[in-house]
Amino acid sequence: MEREVAIIGYAQTPYEEDADASREILVLRAAREALASAGLSRDDIGTVITANNDYLDGRTISNMRLVEPSGACLKDESKVEMDGAYAALYALMRLLSGFHDVAMVIGESQASVYPTYAPGVMTLDPTWDRQRGLLNEVSAAALQARSYMNTYGISEEQIAAVAAKNLGNAVKNPLALRAVPGATVEQVMGSRMLCSPIREMCAWPATDGACAIVLAAGDVARKANRAAWIRGVGFYHDSYLTERPLDKMTSLKMAADKCYAMAGIEHPEVEIDLAEISELFAHEELMAYEALGFCAEGKGGEFIDSGATRMDGILPVNPSGGVLAANAVCAAGLARLAEAAMQITGEAGDHQVKGVKTALAHGQTGLCAQENIVYVLGGE
Amino acid sequence: MKSGEGLKNVKRMSVPFAPVFNWSVGNWMEQFFDGLKQKKILASKCAACGRVYLPPRMICERCFDKTEEWVELPETGTVETYTMAHVGVADNGELEDLPEPQIIAMVKHDGADTCMAVRVDAQDCNVGLRVKAVWNAEPDGVLDALSAYRALD
Repeated sequence: MEREVAIIGYAQTPYEEDADASREILVLRAAREALASAGLSRDDIGTVITANNDYLDGRTISNMRLVEPSGACLKDESKVEMDGAYAALYALMRLLSGFHDVAMVIGESQASVYPTYAPGVMTLDPTWDRQRGLLNEVSAAALQARSYMNTYGISEEQIAAVAAKNLGNAVKNPLALRAVPGATVEQVMGSRMLCSPIREMCAWPATDGACAIVLAAGDVARKANRAAWIRGVGFYHDSYLTERPLDKMTSLKMAADKCYAMAGIEHPEVEIDLAEISELFAHEELMAYEALGFCAEGKGGEFIDSGATRMDGILPVNPSGGVLAANAVCAAGLARLAEAAMQITGEAGDHQVKGVKTALAHGQTGLCAQENIVYVLGGE
Repeated sequence: MKSGEGLKNVKRMSVPFAPVFNWSVGNWMEQFFDGLKQKKILASKCAACGRVYLPPRMICERCFDKTEEWVELPETGTVETYTMAHVGVADNGELEDLPEPQIIAMVKHDGADTCMAVRVDAQDCNVGLRVKAVWNAEPDGVLDALSAYRALD
Protein backbone atom coordinates (compact mmCIF):
# COMPACT_ATOMS: atom_id res chain seq x y z
CA MET A 1 0.00 0.00 0.00
CA GLU A 2 1.11 3.58 -0.69
CA ARG A 3 0.66 4.56 2.94
CA GLU A 4 1.20 2.21 5.84
CA VAL A 5 -1.85 1.97 8.10
CA ALA A 6 -1.98 0.38 11.55
CA ILE A 7 -4.46 -0.41 14.28
CA ILE A 8 -3.12 1.60 17.21
CA GLY A 9 -6.00 1.38 19.67
CA TYR A 10 -8.96 -0.89 20.42
CA ALA A 11 -11.66 -1.56 22.97
CA GLN A 12 -14.66 -3.81 23.38
CA THR A 13 -17.44 -3.56 25.92
CA PRO A 14 -18.28 -6.73 27.82
CA TYR A 15 -20.68 -8.75 25.67
CA GLU A 16 -23.95 -9.24 27.47
CA GLU A 17 -27.38 -10.74 26.98
CA ASP A 18 -29.11 -7.63 28.18
CA ALA A 19 -26.78 -4.67 28.65
CA ASP A 20 -28.02 -2.16 31.19
CA ALA A 21 -27.01 0.76 28.98
CA SER A 22 -28.23 2.67 25.98
CA ARG A 23 -26.49 2.14 22.64
CA GLU A 24 -25.07 5.66 22.96
CA ILE A 25 -23.40 4.79 26.25
CA LEU A 26 -22.07 1.49 24.88
CA VAL A 27 -20.55 3.36 21.93
CA LEU A 28 -19.15 6.09 24.17
CA ARG A 29 -17.46 3.50 26.41
CA ALA A 30 -15.85 1.67 23.50
CA ALA A 31 -14.83 4.84 21.64
CA ARG A 32 -13.30 6.62 24.65
CA GLU A 33 -11.45 3.51 25.75
CA ALA A 34 -10.10 2.84 22.26
CA LEU A 35 -8.95 6.43 21.92
CA ALA A 36 -7.31 6.34 25.35
CA SER A 37 -5.50 3.11 24.48
CA ALA A 38 -4.16 4.84 21.36
CA GLY A 39 -2.92 7.71 23.51
CA LEU A 40 -4.88 10.22 21.44
CA SER A 41 -7.61 12.76 22.09
CA ARG A 42 -10.76 13.61 20.12
CA ASP A 43 -8.91 16.48 18.42
CA ASP A 44 -6.62 13.93 16.75
CA ILE A 45 -9.48 12.10 15.00
CA GLY A 46 -9.79 12.91 11.31
CA THR A 47 -12.67 10.68 10.29
CA VAL A 48 -15.24 8.47 12.04
CA ILE A 49 -16.89 5.46 10.41
CA THR A 50 -19.58 3.51 12.24
CA ALA A 51 -21.26 0.20 11.45
CA ASN A 52 -24.89 0.07 12.42
CA ASN A 53 -28.17 -0.91 10.92
CA ASP A 54 -31.57 0.74 10.75
CA TYR A 55 -33.35 -2.58 11.37
CA LEU A 56 -31.32 -3.27 14.47
CA ASP A 57 -31.72 0.17 15.93
CA GLY A 58 -35.40 0.59 15.06
CA ARG A 59 -34.75 3.97 13.48
CA THR A 60 -33.70 5.29 10.13
CA ILE A 61 -30.30 6.89 9.70
CA SER A 62 -29.01 4.77 12.54
CA ASN A 63 -25.75 6.70 12.84
CA MET A 64 -27.86 9.66 13.93
CA ARG A 65 -27.16 10.33 17.61
CA LEU A 66 -24.06 8.18 17.41
CA VAL A 67 -22.16 11.28 16.30
CA GLU A 68 -21.78 12.47 19.90
CA PRO A 69 -20.60 9.24 21.54
CA SER A 70 -18.30 8.33 18.64
CA GLY A 71 -16.46 11.66 18.82
CA ALA A 72 -17.63 12.67 15.35
CA CYS A 73 -19.15 16.08 16.11
CA LEU A 74 -18.18 18.48 13.29
CA LYS A 75 -15.87 15.88 11.79
CA ASP A 76 -15.75 13.87 8.60
CA GLU A 77 -18.23 11.07 9.43
CA SER A 78 -19.98 8.24 7.61
CA LYS A 79 -21.33 4.73 8.21
CA VAL A 80 -21.75 1.34 6.65
CA GLU A 81 -24.85 -0.76 7.15
CA MET A 82 -22.82 -3.95 7.24
CA ASP A 83 -20.39 -5.67 9.53
CA GLY A 84 -17.88 -3.40 11.27
CA ALA A 85 -15.02 -5.02 9.37
CA TYR A 86 -16.37 -3.09 6.37
CA ALA A 87 -16.43 0.12 8.42
CA ALA A 88 -12.72 -0.51 8.98
CA LEU A 89 -12.30 -0.92 5.22
CA TYR A 90 -14.01 2.40 4.59
CA ALA A 91 -11.80 4.04 7.23
CA LEU A 92 -8.70 2.42 5.73
CA MET A 93 -9.59 3.90 2.34
CA ARG A 94 -10.07 7.34 3.88
CA LEU A 95 -6.59 7.12 5.40
CA LEU A 96 -5.07 5.80 2.16
CA SER A 97 -6.55 8.82 0.38
CA GLY A 98 -4.06 10.90 2.34
CA PHE A 99 -6.70 13.28 3.64
CA HIS A 100 -6.68 11.94 7.18
CA ASP A 101 -4.16 10.41 9.58
CA VAL A 102 -6.47 8.99 12.27
CA ALA A 103 -9.78 7.14 11.95
CA MET A 104 -12.19 5.96 14.62
CA VAL A 105 -14.15 2.82 13.66
CA ILE A 106 -17.09 1.57 15.71
CA GLY A 107 -19.60 -1.26 15.47
CA GLU A 108 -22.45 -1.77 17.90
CA SER A 109 -25.82 -3.45 18.40
CA GLN A 110 -28.10 -4.74 21.12
CA ALA A 111 -30.07 -7.89 20.35
CA SER A 112 -32.03 -7.34 23.56
CA VAL A 113 -33.61 -4.33 21.86
CA TYR A 114 -34.64 -5.70 18.47
CA PRO A 115 -36.53 -8.85 17.39
CA THR A 116 -33.48 -11.10 17.06
CA TYR A 117 -34.27 -12.92 13.81
CA ALA A 118 -36.39 -10.28 12.06
CA PRO A 119 -33.43 -8.47 10.42
CA GLY A 120 -32.28 -11.75 8.81
CA VAL A 121 -35.75 -12.38 7.40
CA MET A 122 -35.75 -8.85 6.02
CA THR A 123 -32.64 -9.66 3.95
CA LEU A 124 -34.52 -12.37 2.01
CA ASP A 125 -35.80 -11.83 -1.51
CA PRO A 126 -39.08 -10.08 -0.63
CA THR A 127 -41.20 -11.35 -3.51
CA TRP A 128 -40.65 -15.06 -2.99
CA ASP A 129 -38.49 -16.35 -0.13
CA ARG A 130 -39.79 -13.92 2.45
CA GLN A 131 -43.38 -14.71 1.46
CA ARG A 132 -42.83 -18.46 1.84
CA GLY A 133 -41.72 -18.13 5.47
CA LEU A 134 -39.26 -21.03 5.27
CA LEU A 135 -35.88 -19.34 5.26
CA ASN A 136 -34.33 -17.50 8.16
CA GLU A 137 -30.76 -17.21 9.42
CA VAL A 138 -30.85 -20.62 11.11
CA SER A 139 -32.61 -22.65 8.39
CA ALA A 140 -30.47 -21.02 5.69
CA ALA A 141 -27.29 -21.85 7.60
CA ALA A 142 -28.58 -25.40 8.07
CA LEU A 143 -28.97 -25.77 4.30
CA GLN A 144 -25.40 -24.52 3.90
CA ALA A 145 -24.11 -26.93 6.58
CA ARG A 146 -25.84 -29.95 5.04
CA SER A 147 -24.57 -29.08 1.58
CA TYR A 148 -20.98 -28.83 2.87
CA MET A 149 -21.26 -32.06 4.88
CA ASN A 150 -22.72 -33.94 1.95
CA THR A 151 -20.12 -32.84 -0.59
CA TYR A 152 -17.09 -33.49 1.60
CA GLY A 153 -18.19 -36.15 4.08
CA ILE A 154 -17.96 -33.88 7.12
CA SER A 155 -19.51 -35.27 10.32
CA GLU A 156 -21.74 -33.54 12.86
CA GLU A 157 -19.08 -34.31 15.49
CA GLN A 158 -16.47 -32.40 13.49
CA ILE A 159 -18.80 -29.39 13.40
CA ALA A 160 -19.53 -29.76 17.11
CA ALA A 161 -15.76 -29.77 17.73
CA VAL A 162 -15.61 -26.16 16.50
CA ALA A 163 -18.22 -25.09 19.05
CA ALA A 164 -16.51 -27.06 21.84
CA LYS A 165 -13.16 -25.45 21.02
CA ASN A 166 -14.46 -21.89 20.75
CA LEU A 167 -16.80 -21.96 23.74
CA GLY A 168 -13.98 -23.53 25.75
CA ASN A 169 -11.55 -20.82 24.60
CA ALA A 170 -14.07 -18.16 25.64
CA VAL A 171 -13.51 -19.07 29.29
CA LYS A 172 -10.22 -17.16 29.04
CA ASN A 173 -11.86 -14.11 27.47
CA PRO A 174 -13.42 -11.99 30.23
CA LEU A 175 -15.57 -10.08 27.70
CA ALA A 176 -17.22 -13.17 26.17
CA LEU A 177 -20.96 -13.68 26.63
CA ARG A 178 -21.06 -17.49 26.24
CA ALA A 179 -18.19 -19.44 27.74
CA VAL A 180 -18.41 -23.13 28.60
CA PRO A 181 -15.61 -24.43 30.85
CA GLY A 182 -14.29 -27.70 29.49
CA ALA A 183 -16.84 -27.77 26.66
CA THR A 184 -16.97 -31.17 24.95
CA VAL A 185 -18.22 -32.47 21.62
CA GLU A 186 -20.75 -34.61 23.53
CA GLN A 187 -22.08 -31.54 25.30
CA VAL A 188 -22.51 -29.68 22.00
CA MET A 189 -24.14 -32.72 20.39
CA GLY A 190 -26.56 -32.85 23.33
CA SER A 191 -27.69 -29.25 22.93
CA ARG A 192 -31.11 -28.53 21.44
CA MET A 193 -31.56 -29.16 17.71
CA LEU A 194 -32.71 -25.99 15.95
CA CYS A 195 -32.59 -26.95 12.26
CA SER A 196 -30.65 -30.11 11.52
CA PRO A 197 -27.66 -30.29 11.62
CA ILE A 198 -27.48 -27.00 13.56
CA ARG A 199 -27.74 -27.23 17.32
CA GLU A 200 -28.08 -24.41 19.80
CA MET A 201 -24.40 -24.44 20.81
CA CYS A 202 -23.40 -24.29 17.12
CA ALA A 203 -25.34 -21.07 16.51
CA TRP A 204 -24.47 -17.50 17.51
CA PRO A 205 -25.91 -16.15 20.75
CA ALA A 206 -28.05 -12.99 20.76
CA THR A 207 -25.68 -10.35 22.11
CA ASP A 208 -25.40 -6.72 23.19
CA GLY A 209 -22.07 -4.98 22.81
CA ALA A 210 -19.75 -2.56 21.02
CA CYS A 211 -16.26 -2.62 19.58
CA ALA A 212 -14.07 0.32 18.55
CA ILE A 213 -10.67 0.49 16.90
CA VAL A 214 -8.41 3.41 16.05
CA LEU A 215 -6.60 3.31 12.72
CA ALA A 216 -3.65 5.57 12.00
CA ALA A 217 -1.40 6.27 9.05
CA GLY A 218 2.01 7.79 8.52
CA ASP A 219 3.88 9.38 11.40
CA VAL A 220 1.00 8.97 13.85
CA ALA A 221 1.16 5.22 13.36
CA ARG A 222 4.96 5.08 13.57
CA LYS A 223 5.00 7.02 16.85
CA ALA A 224 2.09 5.10 18.41
CA ASN A 225 2.18 3.15 21.68
CA ARG A 226 1.52 0.02 19.70
CA ALA A 227 0.82 -0.92 16.12
CA ALA A 228 -0.69 -3.88 14.31
CA TRP A 229 -0.04 -3.03 10.68
CA ILE A 230 -2.60 -3.81 7.98
CA ARG A 231 -0.59 -5.82 5.43
CA GLY A 232 -3.45 -6.79 3.19
CA VAL A 233 -7.20 -6.75 2.70
CA GLY A 234 -9.55 -8.48 0.28
CA PHE A 235 -13.33 -8.53 -0.03
CA TYR A 236 -15.78 -10.16 -2.42
CA HIS A 237 -19.52 -10.50 -2.77
CA ASP A 238 -21.20 -13.77 -3.75
CA SER A 239 -24.60 -14.49 -5.31
CA TYR A 240 -27.89 -14.68 -3.40
CA LEU A 241 -28.05 -17.92 -1.46
CA THR A 242 -30.36 -19.84 -3.81
CA GLU A 243 -28.20 -18.96 -6.81
CA ARG A 244 -24.81 -20.26 -5.68
CA PRO A 245 -23.31 -23.53 -4.49
CA LEU A 246 -23.60 -23.58 -0.70
CA ASP A 247 -20.96 -26.24 -0.12
CA LYS A 248 -18.06 -23.83 -0.40
CA MET A 249 -17.29 -20.18 0.36
CA THR A 250 -16.21 -18.91 -3.03
CA SER A 251 -16.23 -15.22 -2.15
CA LEU A 252 -14.17 -15.87 0.99
CA LYS A 253 -11.58 -17.77 -1.04
CA MET A 254 -11.35 -14.92 -3.54
CA ALA A 255 -11.10 -12.37 -0.72
CA ALA A 256 -8.33 -14.38 0.92
CA ASP A 257 -6.40 -14.75 -2.34
CA LYS A 258 -6.58 -10.99 -2.93
CA CYS A 259 -5.55 -10.25 0.64
CA TYR A 260 -2.65 -12.73 0.54
CA ALA A 261 -1.36 -11.27 -2.74
CA MET A 262 -1.33 -7.80 -1.16
CA ALA A 263 0.33 -9.06 2.02
CA GLY A 264 2.86 -11.18 0.14
CA ILE A 265 1.64 -14.41 1.69
CA GLU A 266 2.23 -17.55 -0.37
CA HIS A 267 1.69 -20.29 2.18
CA PRO A 268 -1.04 -19.14 4.58
CA GLU A 269 -1.02 -22.37 6.57
CA VAL A 270 2.61 -21.70 7.50
CA GLU A 271 2.88 -17.93 7.41
CA ILE A 272 -0.24 -17.08 9.42
CA ASP A 273 0.23 -17.56 13.15
CA LEU A 274 -3.35 -17.04 14.29
CA ALA A 275 -6.81 -16.33 12.89
CA GLU A 276 -9.98 -14.74 14.22
CA ILE A 277 -12.86 -15.92 12.03
CA SER A 278 -16.51 -14.83 11.95
CA GLU A 279 -18.14 -18.23 12.40
CA LEU A 280 -21.79 -17.34 12.87
CA PHE A 281 -22.43 -21.06 12.86
CA ALA A 282 -19.86 -23.70 13.79
CA HIS A 283 -19.65 -25.35 10.35
CA GLU A 284 -18.64 -22.01 8.80
CA GLU A 285 -15.32 -22.17 10.62
CA LEU A 286 -14.52 -25.48 8.90
CA MET A 287 -15.55 -24.05 5.53
CA ALA A 288 -13.38 -21.01 6.24
CA TYR A 289 -10.31 -23.18 6.99
CA GLU A 290 -10.59 -24.40 3.41
CA ALA A 291 -11.39 -21.07 1.78
CA LEU A 292 -8.52 -19.40 3.65
CA GLY A 293 -6.10 -22.08 2.47
CA PHE A 294 -5.32 -23.39 5.96
CA CYS A 295 -6.06 -26.87 4.63
CA ALA A 296 -7.04 -28.44 1.31
CA GLU A 297 -10.59 -28.29 -0.07
CA GLY A 298 -12.83 -30.71 1.81
CA LYS A 299 -10.33 -31.23 4.62
CA GLY A 300 -11.83 -28.81 7.17
CA GLY A 301 -13.05 -31.72 9.31
CA GLU A 302 -9.66 -33.40 9.40
CA PHE A 303 -8.04 -30.05 10.18
CA ILE A 304 -10.10 -29.54 13.34
CA ASP A 305 -9.56 -33.18 14.30
CA SER A 306 -5.79 -32.64 14.06
CA GLY A 307 -5.92 -30.07 16.85
CA ALA A 308 -4.14 -27.51 14.64
CA THR A 309 -6.61 -24.75 15.47
CA ARG A 310 -6.68 -25.22 19.23
CA MET A 311 -5.17 -22.51 21.40
CA ASP A 312 -1.99 -24.63 21.65
CA GLY A 313 -2.09 -25.78 18.02
CA ILE A 314 0.04 -24.70 15.06
CA LEU A 315 -2.62 -22.26 13.81
CA PRO A 316 -4.93 -21.22 16.65
CA VAL A 317 -8.35 -20.05 15.43
CA ASN A 318 -10.65 -17.94 17.59
CA PRO A 319 -8.77 -17.96 20.90
CA SER A 320 -11.28 -15.25 21.92
CA GLY A 321 -14.14 -17.72 21.51
CA GLY A 322 -15.13 -16.19 18.19
CA VAL A 323 -18.64 -15.25 17.20
CA LEU A 324 -20.09 -18.34 18.87
CA ALA A 325 -19.05 -16.73 22.16
CA ALA A 326 -20.43 -13.25 21.34
CA ASN A 327 -22.14 -11.83 18.27
CA ALA A 328 -23.01 -8.18 18.61
CA VAL A 329 -24.20 -7.77 15.01
CA CYS A 330 -22.21 -5.03 13.19
CA ALA A 331 -19.46 -5.34 15.83
CA ALA A 332 -18.61 -9.03 15.35
CA GLY A 333 -16.18 -8.79 12.44
CA LEU A 334 -14.65 -5.60 13.81
CA ALA A 335 -14.06 -7.48 17.07
CA ARG A 336 -12.17 -10.13 15.09
CA LEU A 337 -9.93 -7.35 13.80
CA ALA A 338 -9.45 -5.96 17.34
CA GLU A 339 -8.70 -9.45 18.67
CA ALA A 340 -6.18 -10.16 15.90
CA ALA A 341 -4.49 -6.82 16.65
CA MET A 342 -4.41 -7.62 20.39
CA GLN A 343 -2.65 -10.91 19.61
CA ILE A 344 -0.01 -9.07 17.55
CA THR A 345 0.63 -6.47 20.25
CA GLY A 346 0.67 -9.09 23.01
CA GLU A 347 -2.28 -7.55 24.85
CA ALA A 348 -4.79 -10.40 24.62
CA GLY A 349 -4.46 -11.26 28.32
CA ASP A 350 -5.40 -14.79 29.34
CA HIS A 351 -6.18 -15.83 25.78
CA GLN A 352 -2.88 -14.49 24.41
CA VAL A 353 -1.10 -16.91 22.07
CA LYS A 354 2.68 -16.68 22.18
CA GLY A 355 4.76 -15.40 19.30
CA VAL A 356 2.00 -14.08 17.00
CA LYS A 357 3.68 -12.07 14.24
CA THR A 358 1.10 -12.44 11.49
CA ALA A 359 -2.64 -12.68 12.21
CA LEU A 360 -5.74 -12.96 10.04
CA ALA A 361 -9.16 -11.45 10.73
CA HIS A 362 -12.39 -12.27 8.87
CA GLY A 363 -15.76 -10.56 8.76
CA GLN A 364 -18.95 -11.48 6.91
CA THR A 365 -22.32 -10.00 6.02
CA GLY A 366 -25.44 -11.59 4.56
CA LEU A 367 -27.17 -14.96 4.68
CA CYS A 368 -24.83 -17.95 4.40
CA ALA A 369 -21.80 -15.60 4.43
CA GLN A 370 -22.72 -13.89 1.17
CA GLU A 371 -20.00 -11.22 1.53
CA ASN A 372 -16.61 -11.79 3.06
CA ILE A 373 -13.68 -9.60 4.02
CA VAL A 374 -10.23 -10.75 5.07
CA TYR A 375 -7.40 -8.78 6.67
CA VAL A 376 -3.83 -9.80 7.37
CA LEU A 377 -2.12 -7.91 10.19
CA GLY A 378 1.58 -7.89 11.00
CA GLY A 379 3.87 -6.67 13.76
CA GLU A 380 6.87 -4.42 13.37
CA MET B 1 -34.98 -10.99 27.54
CA LYS B 2 -37.57 -9.72 25.10
CA SER B 3 -40.61 -9.26 27.27
CA GLY B 4 -39.42 -6.01 28.74
CA GLU B 5 -38.95 -7.70 32.11
CA GLY B 6 -35.63 -7.02 33.69
CA LEU B 7 -34.78 -4.17 31.34
CA LYS B 8 -33.78 -1.53 33.77
CA ASN B 9 -33.53 1.52 31.57
CA VAL B 10 -35.27 0.51 28.36
CA LYS B 11 -38.78 1.41 27.43
CA ARG B 12 -40.66 -0.95 25.19
CA MET B 13 -41.48 0.95 22.04
CA SER B 14 -43.43 0.05 18.95
CA VAL B 15 -43.69 1.88 15.66
CA PRO B 16 -46.89 3.90 15.27
CA PHE B 17 -47.87 2.19 12.02
CA ALA B 18 -48.18 -1.35 10.67
CA PRO B 19 -45.00 -2.04 8.67
CA VAL B 20 -46.59 -3.61 5.59
CA PHE B 21 -44.87 -3.09 2.24
CA ASN B 22 -46.32 -3.38 -1.24
CA TRP B 23 -43.48 -4.34 -3.53
CA SER B 24 -43.86 -4.27 -7.23
CA VAL B 25 -42.90 -7.80 -8.16
CA GLY B 26 -41.93 -6.73 -11.67
CA ASN B 27 -42.92 -8.31 -14.95
CA TRP B 28 -40.79 -11.37 -14.38
CA MET B 29 -42.28 -12.42 -11.04
CA GLU B 30 -45.75 -11.52 -12.31
CA GLN B 31 -45.37 -13.92 -15.21
CA PHE B 32 -44.01 -16.53 -12.81
CA PHE B 33 -47.01 -16.11 -10.49
CA ASP B 34 -49.43 -16.20 -13.44
CA GLY B 35 -47.75 -19.43 -14.52
CA LEU B 36 -48.16 -20.98 -11.07
CA LYS B 37 -51.91 -20.31 -11.21
CA GLN B 38 -51.95 -22.46 -14.35
CA LYS B 39 -49.66 -25.06 -12.73
CA LYS B 40 -46.80 -24.05 -14.94
CA ILE B 41 -43.22 -23.57 -13.77
CA LEU B 42 -41.82 -20.65 -15.75
CA ALA B 43 -38.16 -19.72 -15.54
CA SER B 44 -36.19 -16.90 -17.11
CA LYS B 45 -33.20 -17.64 -19.30
CA CYS B 46 -30.19 -15.55 -20.17
CA ALA B 47 -29.86 -15.33 -23.93
CA ALA B 48 -26.11 -14.82 -23.70
CA CYS B 49 -24.95 -17.60 -21.32
CA GLY B 50 -28.05 -19.80 -21.25
CA ARG B 51 -28.33 -19.76 -17.46
CA VAL B 52 -31.85 -20.58 -16.33
CA TYR B 53 -33.13 -18.76 -13.24
CA LEU B 54 -35.92 -20.15 -11.07
CA PRO B 55 -37.50 -18.19 -9.45
CA PRO B 56 -37.03 -16.03 -12.52
CA ARG B 57 -34.66 -13.10 -12.28
CA MET B 58 -34.82 -10.04 -14.46
CA ILE B 59 -31.05 -9.76 -14.68
CA CYS B 60 -28.30 -12.29 -15.33
CA GLU B 61 -25.69 -11.34 -12.75
CA ARG B 62 -22.93 -13.00 -14.75
CA CYS B 63 -23.70 -11.37 -18.11
CA PHE B 64 -24.74 -8.03 -16.58
CA ASP B 65 -27.76 -7.95 -18.83
CA LYS B 66 -31.51 -8.51 -18.84
CA THR B 67 -32.86 -12.06 -19.14
CA GLU B 68 -35.22 -11.91 -22.09
CA GLU B 69 -36.22 -15.54 -22.69
CA TRP B 70 -38.75 -17.75 -20.91
CA VAL B 71 -38.70 -21.51 -20.57
CA GLU B 72 -41.31 -23.81 -19.06
CA LEU B 73 -39.70 -26.38 -16.78
CA PRO B 74 -40.98 -29.81 -15.74
CA GLU B 75 -42.50 -30.27 -12.28
CA THR B 76 -39.62 -32.45 -11.22
CA GLY B 77 -36.34 -31.63 -9.60
CA THR B 78 -33.61 -32.77 -7.25
CA VAL B 79 -32.92 -31.94 -3.61
CA GLU B 80 -29.56 -30.16 -3.49
CA THR B 81 -29.58 -29.71 0.29
CA TYR B 82 -32.16 -29.86 3.07
CA THR B 83 -32.80 -29.37 6.76
CA MET B 84 -35.27 -30.72 9.28
CA ALA B 85 -36.44 -27.50 10.89
CA HIS B 86 -37.55 -27.76 14.52
CA VAL B 87 -37.82 -24.00 14.93
CA GLY B 88 -39.04 -21.10 12.85
CA VAL B 89 -39.25 -17.34 13.29
CA ALA B 90 -42.41 -16.27 15.12
CA ASP B 91 -44.34 -13.05 14.47
CA ASN B 92 -42.36 -11.39 17.25
CA GLY B 93 -39.10 -12.03 15.40
CA GLU B 94 -37.85 -14.68 17.83
CA LEU B 95 -37.33 -18.41 17.30
CA GLU B 96 -40.25 -20.63 18.28
CA ASP B 97 -40.75 -24.40 18.24
CA LEU B 98 -42.71 -25.55 15.19
CA PRO B 99 -45.81 -27.66 15.96
CA GLU B 100 -44.23 -30.40 13.82
CA PRO B 101 -40.70 -30.47 12.43
CA GLN B 102 -40.71 -29.70 8.71
CA ILE B 103 -38.31 -30.45 5.90
CA ILE B 104 -37.03 -27.41 4.03
CA ALA B 105 -35.00 -28.12 0.92
CA MET B 106 -33.20 -26.36 -1.87
CA VAL B 107 -34.71 -27.96 -4.96
CA LYS B 108 -33.14 -27.54 -8.36
CA HIS B 109 -35.80 -28.08 -10.99
CA ASP B 110 -34.79 -30.13 -14.01
CA GLY B 111 -33.48 -27.61 -16.51
CA ALA B 112 -32.82 -24.86 -13.94
CA ASP B 113 -29.44 -23.59 -12.79
CA THR B 114 -30.63 -22.09 -9.49
CA CYS B 115 -32.57 -23.47 -6.54
CA MET B 116 -35.88 -22.76 -4.90
CA ALA B 117 -36.21 -23.06 -1.13
CA VAL B 118 -39.33 -25.17 -0.65
CA ARG B 119 -41.11 -27.44 1.80
CA VAL B 120 -40.86 -31.18 1.18
CA ASP B 121 -43.66 -33.38 2.52
CA ALA B 122 -41.86 -36.55 3.48
CA GLN B 123 -40.72 -38.47 6.53
CA ASP B 124 -37.15 -38.47 5.35
CA CYS B 125 -35.03 -36.55 2.97
CA ASN B 126 -31.59 -36.83 1.47
CA VAL B 127 -29.41 -34.91 -0.92
CA GLY B 128 -30.16 -36.17 -4.41
CA LEU B 129 -33.78 -37.11 -3.64
CA ARG B 130 -35.94 -36.75 -6.74
CA VAL B 131 -39.04 -34.68 -6.02
CA LYS B 132 -42.16 -33.41 -7.76
CA ALA B 133 -44.27 -30.32 -7.21
CA VAL B 134 -47.55 -30.69 -5.30
CA TRP B 135 -50.20 -28.23 -6.42
CA ASN B 136 -52.85 -26.76 -4.20
CA ALA B 137 -56.30 -27.52 -5.63
CA GLU B 138 -57.82 -24.29 -4.35
CA PRO B 139 -55.07 -21.84 -3.52
CA ASP B 140 -55.86 -18.79 -1.39
CA GLY B 141 -53.53 -16.71 -3.52
CA VAL B 142 -50.78 -17.15 -6.05
CA LEU B 143 -48.19 -17.91 -3.38
CA ASP B 144 -50.16 -20.95 -2.24
CA ALA B 145 -50.57 -22.45 -5.70
CA LEU B 146 -47.37 -24.42 -5.31
CA SER B 147 -47.78 -25.87 -1.84
CA ALA B 148 -44.85 -28.25 -1.44
CA TYR B 149 -42.86 -31.07 -3.04
CA ARG B 150 -43.06 -34.81 -2.54
CA ALA B 151 -40.71 -37.65 -3.36
CA LEU B 152 -41.05 -39.10 -6.84
CA ASP B 153 -42.41 -42.65 -6.78
